[in-house]
Amino acid sequence: MEATIEVRGLRKRFGSTVAVDDLSFTVGPGRVTGFVGPNGAGKSTTMRMIMGLDRPDAGAALVGGRPYRSLRTPLCRLGAMLDASAVHPARRARDHLRWLAHANGLPARRVDEVIEQAGLGSAARRRAGGFSLGMRQRLGIAAALLGDPPVLMFDEPVNGLDPEGIAWIRGLLRSLAAEGRAVLVSSHLMSELEGGADHLLVIGRGRLIADTRVEDLLAAASDGRVELRTERRREAMTVLARAGATVTTSGSDALIVTGPTAERVIELLTGEGVAFSGISAHRASLEEAYMELTKDALEFQAVAGGEAR
Amino acid sequence: MTAPAPPAPPSYRSTVAGEARDGFGRLLLAEWTKLRTVPRWTLTLLAAVVLMVAVAMLSASDSGSSGPEEKRSPTAQLQIIDLGHYTYLPLAGDGSVVARVTSQDGGGAWAKAGLMIRGSAERGAPYAALAVTPGHGVRMLTGYRRDGAGGGTATAPQWLRLTRAGAAVTGYASADGRAWRRVGSVRVDGLRGRALAGMFVAAPDEVEVRRVFGGEIISGKPGDTTATFDNVAVSPPAPDAAWLDRGGPGGPAADPALDGSTRSGGTFTLKGTGDIGPDEFAPDVTKATLAGAMIGQAAIVALAVLFMTAEYRRGTLRTTFAASPRRGRVLAAKAVVVGLASLAAGLVAAFASVLLARPLLESGGIAPPPVSDPAVLRAVVGTAALLAVLAVFALAVAVIVRRSAVAIAAVLLVLLVPEITATGLPVAAARWVERVTPAAGFAIQQTVTRYDAAIGPWAGLGVLCAYTAAALAAAAWLLRRRDA
Repeated sequence: MEATIEVRGLRKRFGSTVAVDDLSFTVGPGRVTGFVGPNGAGKSTTMRMIMGLDRPDAGAALVGGRPYRSLRTPLCRLGAMLDASAVHPARRARDHLRWLAHANGLPARRVDEVIEQAGLGSAARRRAGGFSLGMRQRLGIAAALLGDPPVLMFDEPVNGLDPEGIAWIRGLLRSLAAEGRAVLVSSHLMSELEGGADHLLVIGRGRLIADTRVEDLLAAASDGRVELRTERRREAMTVLARAGATVTTSGSDALIVTGPTAERVIELLTGEGVAFSGISAHRASLEEAYMELTKDALEFQAVAGGEAR
Repeated sequence: MTAPAPPAPPSYRSTVAGEARDGFGRLLLAEWTKLRTVPRWTLTLLAAVVLMVAVAMLSASDSGSSGPEEKRSPTAQLQIIDLGHYTYLPLAGDGSVVARVTSQDGGGAWAKAGLMIRGSAERGAPYAALAVTPGHGVRMLTGYRRDGAGGGTATAPQWLRLTRAGAAVTGYASADGRAWRRVGSVRVDGLRGRALAGMFVAAPDEVEVRRVFGGEIISGKPGDTTATFDNVAVSPPAPDAAWLDRGGPGGPAADPALDGSTRSGGTFTLKGTGDIGPDEFAPDVTKATLAGAMIGQAAIVALAVLFMTAEYRRGTLRTTFAASPRRGRVLAAKAVVVGLASLAAGLVAAFASVLLARPLLESGGIAPPPVSDPAVLRAVVGTAALLAVLAVFALAVAVIVRRSAVAIAAVLLVLLVPEITATGLPVAAARWVERVTPAAGFAIQQTVTRYDAAIGPWAGLGVLCAYTAAALAAAAWLLRRRDA
């Protein structure tokens, strides 16, 4: 049983809206794969189709090489948290985990183990209706871990959490991936995945825009750009523009220069006697890279209507 | 698909996959855990029991209006009628009686003219009878039941023969007195030694029920019938025995125009009024005691619906299907769990109702039949089964409509509206409404075959089961087809 999710040509239409359009990707073991796209891009629909909850109009999704609906004890193959609020409010957290464990014949000790692992502690004896969002997320994660599955899927797990909660989940996902599990995490905010994901699947309007390692994406987005710090912003801009560079301001004393290399920028500025306090190769944030990517993708789609980059 | 994949680390293997088990039993356990861990659901189940028992006690303490002194006649206690006219000779042991019914006149489709061997002339005595009827062929009758073996379209004139061997009595019919066909054989408990053999006529009451909204006007008059017999022979013939008569109450030939027998040569003419059979107007004490099911069903239906719709409303259905992707099995497990829970609650409620109402009824001068009586036991256990089937029906409807309020309202309307509208419809239409709607299931509570019974107990429950099966099939189909 490989720790993978394979999606091949998945398509889903709700009425006249195409939610997922010919989507193909593979989620591999040992890394956290971010699944990013704006709200309504089709992330949740894709996850539901992977779990056999929604029926695809075309294509297939395989978990460890098999369709989810053919799995006999699916909790041991894939653990998922699609919606942290999907708990009966009158049921104690522990009982929620207990029925779930019964459904796959899992031993009772697993319930205690995941309560511990998710840090639910004594809250497990309380009714889920009184839980804070953070506690619900922990309960959802406990449920996902119940079968100790090699594949994990979380839909917007950090949405609405406090920084402490975000850090906890990020650490948990990293450690789960480090054990050799495949972890797929969706988010509509790229910044939430900053420092959390190794690999990215970017999706827009149901189509795959990018399937890339985070490093590669950042490198591509930062490519050839130089960040310059100078008190004499206006002079620097004039000098560099005359040399054919594209210059944008990114702060009161910061500029981002596209075109010439850092050496060439230093040469130009010193030649004209413009003082500067710092120069470095620009490292794009994930957010910037994402903006860049989606902008290109939209243009590309408008022109060719074809395959995503 | 652009980035070259880094060397893939070894895949993780679940440490508990080896212990995990799949199976319907696990699923039942999971669904049962769901049911019992929501406190308001267990309370609803408890409420159903309390409501049913409370209704039973209330109706029992209310029903003693006739006063404790009034003695009820033995036939009334047995809820039977034993009237008509009987002309007989003694029959010392085994033997037979034969006669030809030459004509039969009046009394309706169930008017009876034929032969009877009975233990004694006392009312309520055990008997076996073979009768020709205008509308229901030749019938073998016993035990004061409405119906018996036989049937067909044969009418008078008809040859009939009844033979007795111990407690076993067998009936034969013939069109010509030569070629006989066997109609049926019955064992008459209590038929020992000396008995009586002869001819009888009987006719059910003519009941007219007129419905006005909110009530009904029932007018009944005893049916009367006349029949002639010839070629009468009782064998072995009893020496020196004369034909005796048993007519309606008040002695033989109370009203010679309607009741009596005349003999001219070998031809007997019998006139009689009233039936030999179940009392169609007898109060159904057991059914009245179990009437709380009409109230209790509301709680059961609500529970069954919520057990399903809560999954839709809270989004846990996705969790359920994530753990058990085989949706038909999930539905089956839910049906079994909610059905068994309702059955258990129903058994407690029905037995408690009958047992607790008993002393109250007795202090009111009514002698309810014992729980061990087969009909009562069937009504009690049947009430629990009825609630179980109703729960499954409600569950299926909940799957179909997915909304608590809509599902509860729909199921209760389907169950209650026929009962209410039936009182405002013409009788024939009302019967059909009570026969073909799911409310027919309540027929399982009948212990007395009354004039207003629309459908038999088991047939009624069968109708509800058929609706439930159809709803369940639709629910399973939708559940598989729909996105969760």
